[in-house]
Amino acid sequence: MAGQSIERREVLRILAVASAAATFPGFSKWSFACGHIGKKLAQIKPAVYQPLFFTSPEYATIERLTDIIIPADDTPGAREAGVAEFIDLMVSRDSNLQPDFRNGLRWLDMHSKKTSGQPFMKLNPGQQTALLEPLAYKNKFRPGEEAGRKFFARVREYTMLGFYTSEIGLKELDFPGLIHSYAVSPSCPHKDDPEHRHLPPAPALSKS
Amino acid sequence: MPKQIYDVIVIGTGAGGGMAIKTLCEAGLKVCALNSGRRLDPEKDFRNHRMSYEMKYRGFGDPKTRMKDTPGFLDSEYNQGAWEHDIAFTTAPGTRWMWPRCSAVGGKTNFWGRSSARFGDIDFRAATLDGYDVDWPVAYDEMAPYYTRVEKMIGVSSTVQNRPSNPDGVYLPPFNFRCLDMILRHGCQKVGVPYLPDRLAQLTEDHNGHPACHYCGDCTFGCEVGAFFSSPWFLLPAAGASGNLELKTNAIAKNILVDDNGHASGVAYLDRESRQEYEIQGRAVVVAASCIESARIMLNSKSRQWPTGIANSSGQLGRNLCDHLYATTASGYLPQLLGQPNFPDNITGNTIAWMPRWQNLEDAHEEKFIRGYSVYPDGGCAEFPWYYDKIEGFGSSCKQEIKRRYPTPVSFTIQAPTLPSSKNFVEIDPEAKDSFGIPQARIHFEWGDNELRMFQHGKQMSADVFNSAGAVLEYAADEPEMPGFSLHETGTCRMGNDATKFVTNRFGQTHDVPNLFVCDASVFLNCTDKTTTLSILAFTLRTNEYLVEQFRRANL
Repeated sequence: MAGQSIERREVLRILAVASAAATFPGFSKWSFACGHIGKKLAQIKPAVYQPLFFTSPEYATIERLTDIIIPADDTPGAREAGVAEFIDLMVSRDSNLQPDFRNGLRWLDMHSKKTSGQPFMKLNPGQQTALLEPLAYKNKFRPGEEAGRKFFARVREYTMLGFYTSEIGLKELDFPGLIHSYAVSPSCPHKDDPEHRHLPPAPALSKS
Repeated sequence: MPKQIYDVIVIGTGAGGGMAIKTLCEAGLKVCALNSGRRLDPEKDFRNHRMSYEMKYRGFGDPKTRMKDTPGFLDSEYNQGAWEHDIAFTTAPGTRWMWPRCSAVGGKTNFWGRSSARFGDIDFRAATLDGYDVDWPVAYDEMAPYYTRVEKMIGVSSTVQNRPSNPDGVYLPPFNFRCLDMILRHGCQKVGVPYLPDRLAQLTEDHNGHPACHYCGDCTFGCEVGAFFSSPWFLLPAAGASGNLELKTNAIAKNILVDDNGHASGVAYLDRESRQEYEIQGRAVVVAASCIESARIMLNSKSRQWPTGIANSSGQLGRNLCDHLYATTASGYLPQLLGQPNFPDNITGNTIAWMPRWQNLEDAHEEKFIRGYSVYPDGGCAEFPWYYDKIEGFGSSCKQEIKRRYPTPVSFTIQAPTLPSSKNFVEIDPEAKDSFGIPQARIHFEWGDNELRMFQHGKQMSADVFNSAGAVLEYAADEPEMPGFSLHETGTCRMGNDATKFVTNRFGQTHDVPNLFVCDASVFLNCTDKTTTLSILAFTLRTNEYLVEQFRRANL
């Protein structure tokens, strides 16, 4: 690539990554290729996602669950990051995971019908949250729901994996590696406070 | 046309092979190097500049094809295609062993951890001090000049520390301590544990034409500019420039050939793609294929003169396999840093600090175990928030808590040496052959009581440090990582003066076959509490200068 300007190389790199990425799941809501380079804009149009493993109703439930686990609030959430697509891709390539997800989705709907007379996706958001809380918080666990807890833990795990490896997720964390290089080995700025007992207060958690 | 006879055939191009090749080529010897895999192209094969979301499986690799039982960071989407998947091995009943091998040119130095401490007399003379096993056939004073030359060649960043178990060397400026280091050092001081900059073969300044690190991403995915030591960036170019090197890639060494006197006369190898077998001739052979593979090649080199494997009259070939016990002795977080601004403190994934051996220094029997271990701290903003399973629930509060915790994680890993044991060894599986038709290595290994006691001690000390540093302890491993995890296996061709008890002499030359040399960690008596690469480089430099001298005196 010698002889090309950095700008030209960067455009080619982004386009190459973009065209490859556009062909695989997890990226139909893809925004990271829309990088400004000089005044040019490289953009890939979002496509409608066709699940590889899940049926359409299953996929909709998975997407809803990811949305509940990491919702959009002040910052975008799992839905915006396309996490359901990532889960679909990983499950489609892993025969050990497939029964966990398929049976788990079945359990969720049966459980929902038993307790509320409706499948999970027909519940309102408050009912959905109420159904999931006993699966997610130790002090709300109930006997007889082990299968549901296992399923929820699986979905949560893959939601985390998908979200915090997306550009949206890493921006949410403000991952320092998003800047590609540093001039010097980063060092502690609080030399006069080795125990770090007197740092400026961290912003308080906002009420959710 | 007469058949070409090389001066030296070198099997392997990693730390040992690379240093052997460079030393021999620069001395004017004609070298043919065999490497079992392909050459890597840094621009194509190293994906450390790529973000997780720029890869199909987000860096995790395809679940259908990724290697099981291998740490993800070693064989992932970031460096796929560089690791060995085709050459199988077996384990004895009851043995668990993982054997990640990088068959690309440069071997594991492409992706290694870069920690580079010298061995000291406390290691070389350990048997005199505690009565177990035997001393090394070399003293520290003899090795020190080689360590110095290697450090000057590759660039090691650290400080002079005056620690009894850690001889100091020649260093570039150290990596700066981060917030977590300041807090942990303070905690360590209170319980009497040293907390110091690690020795790192990663450049904090431009060095010998190699650029300083620019802190771009995780080094274990490879370096595109050569800012940390690896054989392809630091050793092979000089060898290539000499005009004396012929490098054969995808050439899987099968066995060493011998002449009527039982001396090495060449190497038989298989082309990985065509599976055709070839033979090349040489006046001397250097085996540097890494500990277990070197033993396998030599054990598979059976002949009329060497019915149990070349240079194995002692019966010690493949014996005394050692490894580092690795385990998480503590992990949790530093509440002092909750919600604080993020800090680029874990960008390259290096061991900025370490807690070098502090046990059994004054008295070799002070503890309930002999010898000693070291601990590596790790923490800060790693890319992925692996602590997510420590925070329960879902929704905005969970999302915020994950963000708040991002600058705070901390964990300790113990590096504890196993003692040489007759139970731990490599042999040839009498039945199993790999897909190239070569008999497989069979590995026998179990942890011994001494290293398990170190593990327990390490957990207690780690908990004490966490406590005095004000860290929250959430987890300590019940079991060590699987044997083989550290990639620091040693033994199998140990060096010693007694030809009936050791495979190689004090120069890494086999006692039985004067033109056969071993240049990797298989000549080490044991693995000490330090990592192996720097010592492989120092011992190999010495062995190959000795080899060149033998050529000059026409002994070979």
